[in-house]
Amino acid sequence: MKKNRAIEKQFNLLDYALSSLWRRKLKNLGIIAVFALVIFLVASFQILTGSLTETAERILAKTPEIVIQKMSAGRQESIPVIYLDRLADIFGIRAAVPRVWGYYFNETSGANYTVMGVDRAAMPEGKNLAMAIEGDFPAAGQGEAALGREVAADLKLAGRRTFSLFRPDLSLKSFRVSGIFAASTDLLTADLIVTGLDDGRDLFAIPENRATDLLVYVTNPNEIGTIAKKIADRLPDTRVLTRPQIHKTYKVVFGWRSGFASICLLTALAAFVILAWDKASGLSAEEKREIGILKILGWQTADILVLRFWESLAVSGLAFLVGCTAAYLHVLFLEGSLFRPVLLGWSVIHPSLKIVPVIAAADLLLIFTLSVLPYLAATVIPAWRCSTVPPDAAIK
Amino acid sequence: MFLNAWSLSLVVCSIVVLFLVVNAVRTGVRVLRYWDPASDSTLQIGLENETWLASTLVEFALAVQGLSLLLFILAADNYSQVIAGAMCATGSLLANEYGLPTLTLKLVGFFLYGFWILLHQLDIRSEVYPLVRVKYVYLLLLIPLILADVVLQTLYIAKLDPDIITSCCAVVLSDTAVESGNLLGILPQTAMLMFFYGTIAVLIGCALLINNLVPGLKSAAERWRAPLSFFYACGWLWFFGLALTAITTVISSYIYAMPFHRCPFCIIKPEYGYIGLAIYFTLICGAFFGVSIAAAEVLGRRPELRVPAGQYRKGAVYLSLAMLIVFTMLSSYHFLAYILTGGES
Repeated sequence: MKKNRAIEKQFNLLDYALSSLWRRKLKNLGIIAVFALVIFLVASFQILTGSLTETAERILAKTPEIVIQKMSAGRQESIPVIYLDRLADIFGIRAAVPRVWGYYFNETSGANYTVMGVDRAAMPEGKNLAMAIEGDFPAAGQGEAALGREVAADLKLAGRRTFSLFRPDLSLKSFRVSGIFAASTDLLTADLIVTGLDDGRDLFAIPENRATDLLVYVTNPNEIGTIAKKIADRLPDTRVLTRPQIHKTYKVVFGWRSGFASICLLTALAAFVILAWDKASGLSAEEKREIGILKILGWQTADILVLRFWESLAVSGLAFLVGCTAAYLHVLFLEGSLFRPVLLGWSVIHPSLKIVPVIAAADLLLIFTLSVLPYLAATVIPAWRCSTVPPDAAIK
Repeated sequence: MFLNAWSLSLVVCSIVVLFLVVNAVRTGVRVLRYWDPASDSTLQIGLENETWLASTLVEFALAVQGLSLLLFILAADNYSQVIAGAMCATGSLLANEYGLPTLTLKLVGFFLYGFWILLHQLDIRSEVYPLVRVKYVYLLLLIPLILADVVLQTLYIAKLDPDIITSCCAVVLSDTAVESGNLLGILPQTAMLMFFYGTIAVLIGCALLINNLVPGLKSAAERWRAPLSFFYACGWLWFFGLALTAITTVISSYIYAMPFHRCPFCIIKPEYGYIGLAIYFTLICGAFFGVSIAAAEVLGRRPELRVPAGQYRKGAVYLSLAMLIVFTMLSSYHFLAYILTGGES
């Protein structure tokens, strides 16, 4: 019975809090709008980071386990294909294939393409690669190429099947389009041109017996580290990158960028908290009288504190809901377009990948901590100050 | 690694707690200097008002601290994805020497703030506020703890080193293949479980005795209530440590259905239905109410606090008993399911 009375009292206080918020709706709606905006910004970053990490994870699952790059004087240079022979007797390597790739700057449109020459027959996942292409995979040595969607748009092909790129000596190398990459792989393929190994060498003028890097496929994922160590021992002049590491780097970079953005947003949050403090502590004569009357009616200091707490909670809860929903819609329908440049980089061709918003309970907790908590903390002291208004304030 | 949303939220929590407690302490210092219940000066009336502020602030700080404990574990789990050699929160907490001390301190802090609230609640139930000075001296003593928490947490985050691709050979520097260790070694499982369930049985019996629920032993229970209460409180303290060990070494691997995964943190992840959150919540709350009975017993010796302390003790015994039973059911569920069905379904 006693417990029920206590709960009933809280409900009544909440009721009064909501009606008192409604009485000052202009002021409170203003606060809710600004607060929701701040939460929207924080939440957008958080949801976008989660979604991008998820997308990268999904796509990286199909990449080779180990990439070998030759280093010279601290810089990467082309690697002799003959190095592959030195890896031949390492157990656990499923396949090792050379790859040619580099960036191509298109002077007419000012865009950078990534051109990649691969030998599909030698790659274990070669068949899957073809599945990502709408059309055919470029046949080896025929001057064929598969294009990412953005590249196809940038080249203004408009139905034409051929295009040309410049070799380093400015002679033209012509390609025939064999297919376009599917939209689902846009994060990796938006700016990509895939062609045969020899065509790639031809375009970049790389000698016959060299490649840009070597891809190593490992059968057992638990052995990646060991095999990478063995490769590093046998090829001391190379840098050996493993998939788990690339994975972590993606995570760190996305985490770092969203953290950096959050720090910038913290200033907005701080400004808002100061605003909230100010709004809450500036007691008008009318408010003073109201509290005085409540006190005369028998309200305790604690009751008014609870009342203010319910008010703050209602305001911040509503703003939290509005802000998070808006952020979710922003990522879902607008694909996070406000902040994507910050997280994905600043290259001229942006991957226009389809992001599916991923939101976990932990993310919501994080957003709550970064936004609602400081607000509640900032309103405690003003709430107390207002709850200690003496009863005689009503008649002054 | 401060440039990470998790690190930032932990820092925000610390700032909020510091802000709240420093404000509460300002009141505390004034109360310790000028408090005079006999006086009716403006100062005294102001101070009586201010004690409301201080208690609200500490209550709020307690809530934030609880949240920050949860955040810290979730953050550690998140860090494990970018730290070399870490596979779950255990790995990232062991990544430098400040991880586990920070966690311990946060846990201890949670209990100590809770005791402050208890003192306060008992205090305001008496008309003469007998505990005002005790309360504020205690609050002042909490300050170093909070500062240590903030410093350790900052050091922990600052010394975290994410494993990103470096310009030299990345493989040699990082040991990606190293499995993250377990917090505790293998302990004899049967003995551990016997201790675990034995202690639970003793605690339940003890709780029933204290609250006069054993029909034949009412008068004896009345006479032995004080020693029983202390015994119960000590029992909970022992059980808290024992339960954490048992969860780590035995129970968790049944929840994961993996014999060699013995991690106390992964059970709070969504993959396991957040069961860990419920387990830890009931354990921590149960332990708090259980241990606080000793405090209620000591405070209840003051004549002006006898009634509220007695009421509190009765409620706390019931609460700790309920928490204990729920905790036992939650933590035994996977274990029993495994034993009864003869394997993972």
